[in-house]
Amino acid sequence: MTVSEAREAKDRELRALQAALAAEHAAVYGYGVVGGRIGKDRRPEARTAYDAHRARRDALVRAVKDVGGEPVAAAAGYALPFQVPDAAAAVRLAAELEDRVAGVYGDLVRAGTGERRREAADAMREAAVRSVRWSSRSVAFPGLAERGGPASGSPAPTT
Amino acid sequence: MSFPPSPRARSGPRRRSLLAAAPAALLVAGCSAGPGDSGAGGGSRPSAADRARARAARDSGELAARYDAVVAAHPKLAERLRPLRAEVVRHAEAFGGTADSSPSPSASASASGTPGSGKAGPSASPAAVPAKPKDALAELAAAEREIADRRMKALLDAPGELARLLASVAAAGAAHVYLLTEA
Repeated sequence: MTVSEAREAKDRELRALQAALAAEHAAVYGYGVVGGRIGKDRRPEARTAYDAHRARRDALVRAVKDVGGEPVAAAAGYALPFQVPDAAAAVRLAAELEDRVAGVYGDLVRAGTGERRREAADAMREAAVRSVRWSSRSVAFPGLAERGGPASGSPAPTT
Repeated sequence: MSFPPSPRARSGPRRRSLLAAAPAALLVAGCSAGPGDSGAGGGSRPSAADRARARAARDSGELAARYDAVVAAHPKLAERLRPLRAEVVRHAEAFGGTADSSPSPSASASASGTPGSGKAGPSASPAAVPAKPKDALAELAAAEREIADRRMKALLDAPGELARLLASVAAAGAAHVYLLTEA
């Protein structure tokens, strides 16, 4: 690998880290909304997911600094993909947040190496499992928009 | 968040199927120089990425066969397992494999108990599927988990785009484990 190729790989990794961090900021915000609307029975689950995303966010802040970047800040507010007036919509939002997070971690798997790649793959796996917990729908290729992504999900077993 | 523990899959079926496949593979290697870029000295060698892709395709193909065996033994599970199996088939195809797109319980059942593969134990027959549906699902989940774990390791050494695909399919496998055990 030449010097310029190495620098390019480094830049790609930093961009992917920042994109993952931005998505985790959005997920933390989004779970705040989820927590306010979700039914009581699923509130602990939302809380656990919220905590998990905060931990990932903090780890990404450190990772960005490690490679010499300035971590992107959270936005003051985020446009929700749809209205969230009730518990059912809150569940849909939670699944949507996880799907988006899975996508950026997929990009980080591609751009990263070694331990960073492993952690990104772990995070992707956790997001996919949480997504299916919320939606009860499995998808063939979590996080891969070009392969149909989460939208083309097949209905998952309910019995 | 971690995943619920489940029993590890037995390694028996894998070893058997590898033995069963060996003669055919030798035949191919012996009779032709292989397609395309057969280089000097001992024929063409697939790259590490090609091998990882082939392994991943084979894993998915064998997993689809396990789903078939469970459905053959427990027809009542067919509807529940159909969407998951369909995804496993798509995984095999994404890695370049060609798993059956339609369930064929009889074919896979006989394939897993191929005679002449030597030391096949008593668990070689399709009857190896646990009698209780719940146990059969747990075993499928264990197989999904084992393969997903292998993919998580394989992706560390894979080129970027293949690593991303392996991570996605491993994530799908982990979601299957959840659906097979918790949902």
